[in-house]
Amino acid sequence: MLLVPLMFAVTLFAFFLLKALPGDPVLGLVGERADPETMESMRRELGTDKGFVGQYAGYLKLLLKGDLGRSYYTNRDVLADISRKFPNTMLLAFAAMLVTVPLGTGLGFLSAVSAGGRSRFLERLIDTLSISGLSIPVFWSAIIIMMLFSLKLKLLPPSGTGGIRFLVLPAAVLAIPAAATLARVTKTTVLEILRMPYVTTARSKGLSALRVQLVHVLRNAVIPIVTIIGLDFGSYLNGAVVTETIFGWDGIGKFTMEGIIKRDYPVIMGCIITGTLVFVVVNLITDVIYHYLDPRIRLNVKKG
Amino acid sequence: MSFDPAKTIGGILLVLALAVPPLSCTSSNRLEGYVYYRLNASPSTLDPALIADVSSATIAAKLYNGLVRLDDGLGIAPDIARKWSISEDGLRYTFLLRRGVRFTNGREVKASDFKYSFERVLDPSTRSPNTWVFDKVEGAGEFLKGRAGEVRGFKAKGDYVFEITLKRPFSPFLSMLTMPPAYVVPREEVEKQGADFSSRPSGTGPFTLKEWLPDRELLLARRHDYFGGRSMVKGIAYRIIAEDLTAVTEFMLGNLDVIALPATAYARFKNDEKWSRYILSREGLNTYYLGMNSSRPPFDDPELRRAVSYAIDREKILNTFYEGRGRLAEGPVPHLLRRWKTGRPIEYAPERARRMIRKKGLEDLEVDMYVSADREVVDLAEIIQAYLARVGINVNIRQLEWSAYKDAVNKGEPDMFWLSWWADYPDPENFLFPLFHSRNLGPGGNRVRYVNREVDSLIEKGQYAVDEEERDYFYQKAEEIIIEDSPWVFFWHKTDYVITQPWIKGCRVYPVYSMDKGTDIMIDSSAVRR
Repeated sequence: MLLVPLMFAVTLFAFFLLKALPGDPVLGLVGERADPETMESMRRELGTDKGFVGQYAGYLKLLLKGDLGRSYYTNRDVLADISRKFPNTMLLAFAAMLVTVPLGTGLGFLSAVSAGGRSRFLERLIDTLSISGLSIPVFWSAIIIMMLFSLKLKLLPPSGTGGIRFLVLPAAVLAIPAAATLARVTKTTVLEILRMPYVTTARSKGLSALRVQLVHVLRNAVIPIVTIIGLDFGSYLNGAVVTETIFGWDGIGKFTMEGIIKRDYPVIMGCIITGTLVFVVVNLITDVIYHYLDPRIRLNVKKG
Repeated sequence: MSFDPAKTIGGILLVLALAVPPLSCTSSNRLEGYVYYRLNASPSTLDPALIADVSSATIAAKLYNGLVRLDDGLGIAPDIARKWSISEDGLRYTFLLRRGVRFTNGREVKASDFKYSFERVLDPSTRSPNTWVFDKVEGAGEFLKGRAGEVRGFKAKGDYVFEITLKRPFSPFLSMLTMPPAYVVPREEVEKQGADFSSRPSGTGPFTLKEWLPDRELLLARRHDYFGGRSMVKGIAYRIIAEDLTAVTEFMLGNLDVIALPATAYARFKNDEKWSRYILSREGLNTYYLGMNSSRPPFDDPELRRAVSYAIDREKILNTFYEGRGRLAEGPVPHLLRRWKTGRPIEYAPERARRMIRKKGLEDLEVDMYVSADREVVDLAEIIQAYLARVGINVNIRQLEWSAYKDAVNKGEPDMFWLSWWADYPDPENFLFPLFHSRNLGPGGNRVRYVNREVDSLIEKGQYAVDEEERDYFYQKAEEIIIEDSPWVFFWHKTDYVITQPWIKGCRVYPVYSMDKGTDIMIDSSAVRR
């Protein structure tokens, strides 16, 4: 498997970057009034006084035992924290995808199909929507949505982690830019396919427009769409910092961010490793889906 | 694999239908009888020996007790010690302990528990950042270095008498004993929990930890056997909400009972008739300042530093940009702690500043000002930049992310930087020794690297002085020299604002985090609640 050397390379690179960052993890621990001896003895206790090689070797040794260490600040087990937060992130990612995929592909498809029609009103409307969706920053849409649905309409709670009531707003916020991107990709792909000879053939065979569009066009447009979805999903599974922060969703994104701000090395490393694994897995799944959608694409699992 | 368009469309519709928000009301699942607060960061630890952040300390105050505590007037009041005496020479502190104070596991607190808890703070393997609280105690140095098995200065005389001996008199000591590292912890629980004591605390306080979902919520439940009079509420819930705007929204929906009023929401609530009467405020024990690196050119020159102070109209900035949310600082020590008057606070005199700078031939001086990447601070930096440009100092603002900023400031990299200092204990010494004594350069607190032997010796004399009047005399003298030397531009002491729901009674604003034990606040169930 390529996974082992990949993980090795990723941890090494991440570790190197961490060390290159200015800032010292001990500073956050000692508060505002620290004497040099205390700081020195803390560095010794944490092992941050050792050189790069020593620290990295120590970390690898821990990692091989399946241990991600304990956070410098909270003294909590990093693996336990990640296992607690990851399901939340996954839930949010799935919920966002649930909105993104039908909305993005649906709108993109409609826009492409209506581009050839008499009235281009629908196409223009969808294009305007998707461009706006792409351009609106998440922090802004998050605030507007919270103000509207929580404060004014009192429909949903503004923050917290939990069931579907808490999930709807952050998922919607995440879905806006993703659905917009997806709509645009779907539209270009579909437009391209509509010009293909086999579509003309299908039409000339006398098949209904709907059947042509759904069977011959949409199915062929699926590959780039799946690629985009895979990428979005992979990034959502690594957490959405702004959305999680504003809606108080207890996920991986905020955890990673706070780790970085405090230079909490075990937390940052743990999050990077999880993130890498997630990307690998999501890519693998995407590849498998490719194969089923288009049998011409072969999975290179078994050699020969 | 066949493709059925009808099924596909049906599937899409189904998914869309599921994605549409179900209509439900926001009746939040609040615990009845609990008062809801907000914390902007998850506490890092509830082990009092390790606490170095305000979120953690706020909660620890409700879980633990020390020998003494602060009363409402910032004086020292009995806590587990019901009485105490200090020997004539100011070296020996004798505490008589209350009987019947119990840890959550039911065991009674004895004098030996204090000895254990305090030695634990000094023990290197505890990794406590708070060793400085006890480093004046006889024998602490040897113990810290591992050369002694115990600290001689901590002595349990029987079960209810605890004695502390200092190396030399140290006037702020009693005040420092109100801090979290001086809380008492039960040895058996600490040893049983090991590293997990941080999240499974056990103390003597009015509350116990009921549940802690890190980064989400923390619940404290009232103890019925608390020695100091039990709390009026069944419990306290802290919701961890990082974003100010989210907290304000939760408050307006009635999901939070008390919040510290964020700067961005101050004007809105203040100008709202319905809300303004529920705003509580109290002058804070803090000082906001613009620090100037006094260890190297150009700001190693006190006259240039004073010129910078003259050049900035702090009062105007306070009343406009800062919306009057503070009191103008005359020196480093907040007014609440000053029992003296300063002779000459620095006024706004841009003409004089310009002349002083021109006389030195320093027009077109270029300096670097570091700020943390916080919107309010960056705006303020630009205002300061404009004032200084008018007297011929060109300020380059460099924005750094918090950790990098702290590191740079501790290492003395910037010429100028913006910071604040908050009291750990209410004594003028807390605003003088760490900040201006030459022993604390850099991370110790003296980040401007100000060195003045006379100030050093005056601060030390103040620390040793047993008599309060004598002490104030030394502190005042030290402060006057510091104002004269102006290593800081003294901006303001920020006022703390809190807003409560109409049904909350007995809420107060506490200038030091350790003061709020949570026993005064009440929920008035007769008040209308939507």
